[in-house]
Amino acid sequence: MNILYEKEGDNNRTAHICSWALVALILAAVFWYGFSQLSYHFAWGTIYDYRMNFLKGYGMTLLISLFALVFSLFLGILFGLGQNSRILPLRYLSIFYVELVRGTPLLVQILLFFYVIANAAGINNRFVVGVLIMALFSGAYIAEIIRGGVQSVAESQRETALSLGFTPYQSYRYIIFPQVMTRILPALAGQLASLIKDSSLLSVIAIKEFTMAAREMNSNTFSTMEAYIPLAIGYLLLTLPISRLTRILERKFSYET
Amino acid sequence: MKLELDKLAKSYGEVLVLDRVSLCLDDINSLVFIGPSGGGKTTLLRLIAGLEQPDSGTILINDKPIEYRSAECLREYRKKIGMVFQAYNLFPHLTALQNITLPLVKVHGYTESRAQEEALILLERFQLADQALKKPAQLSGGQKQRIAICRAVAIRPEFLLLDEPTSALDPEYTSEVLDLIGELRDDGMRLILVTHEMGFARQAADYLVFVGDGGLIAQGTPAELFETESDERVSRFLNKVLKYT
Repeated sequence: MNILYEKEGDNNRTAHICSWALVALILAAVFWYGFSQLSYHFAWGTIYDYRMNFLKGYGMTLLISLFALVFSLFLGILFGLGQNSRILPLRYLSIFYVELVRGTPLLVQILLFFYVIANAAGINNRFVVGVLIMALFSGAYIAEIIRGGVQSVAESQRETALSLGFTPYQSYRYIIFPQVMTRILPALAGQLASLIKDSSLLSVIAIKEFTMAAREMNSNTFSTMEAYIPLAIGYLLLTLPISRLTRILERKFSYET
Repeated sequence: MKLELDKLAKSYGEVLVLDRVSLCLDDINSLVFIGPSGGGKTTLLRLIAGLEQPDSGTILINDKPIEYRSAECLREYRKKIGMVFQAYNLFPHLTALQNITLPLVKVHGYTESRAQEEALILLERFQLADQALKKPAQLSGGQKQRIAICRAVAIRPEFLLLDEPTSALDPEYTSEVLDLIGELRDDGMRLILVTHEMGFARQAADYLVFVGDGGLIAQGTPAELFETESDERVSRFLNKVLKYT
């Protein structure tokens, strides 16, 4: 019986299950070996004492990511379209923004924003600072997603809208944007997953999010593994459904091309 | 319809596509441009459609020049003409019906219900009513092009411009599209058409213009152009395209 290969036109469920299990098993073996070499004594009791910290942090990470996503969508649309704007200052502002944010590490941005910009602007609420930083960071990536999406709508669609007498605003509103949105939904879902993971760096400015909870527990109890393993699982619980959603969206809209 | 081209020139970079073309037709109902690929006929049609700007020269329609300088005037002008593209250019995210109603509602100020009524009358007439709720991806090439023609006709244009409307179609669909165009013509729709379908051109055109080498090489009624061999380039072209028909 064939359990390792997929044959064309053959819906071989057992082979898929076997291969899935095989890979899971190998990974588990690697981890098991790694941990066995560590001769580490697990004390899972500690995390129970810190459970509220973890749950609050988890909620905080979710909230920051969601607010930042909404806000970064605005930024992404503005600067994504801005890169091709006829208003030249807006165009160059967009290009500067996208290139600077994408070209520097998030850690540097967090520290600069927190100690320089937020300080000068008098923003003391760390939640707000966290949302702003993540929105600015993610906005640059979304701007690129949107710019690419708009470009992928064929020039002929724009021309057709023009020939029918649509104004430029109307052609974006009724012709181009609806097509862009369906095309970039998978990429946007992926961006949300990145946002959730990247927000872990906010712990460096002591925002009490998910990773911060693990860091706190680790420094108080030296239970490194008991803090970071649940952390990894916690992030996976958020990002795996999103990547599943991304796949579904990709399949749903692929017929349109 | 009166159409006048006055020393119309257009080049793309180094390539001179139209070299000071002039033409004056007083009363024209169906005008057909024929000629070799790359000869400039599509460019000429796009200039008339207001989709390209000439480098110099003017186009006058019923003695009114097309105002290329003002975006507003150009849009008002485009609202009065119907354009049909070679690749149909339907909006893929909308149903066939919405493709027709969207311009009626957003550009021409129809109410949604009146737009639907108008669109359905057209679809009914051309046996497309069953396709009304399908997306373009679910339609055959011939159906797509017929929907695209309906979209262009629905706005009750002063005239219809068609840019090689059957070139992207399988041969079996060509005749259904040509039938529709012929029917519109017989109803009095004025049209300017670029085509490679010589049989159709001969039958449907009041006047034929042979565009090639950046200029108008020959022109006349179908009888004049097909039967009297005026220019060697024309007869060479006709021999080639008519070889297997």
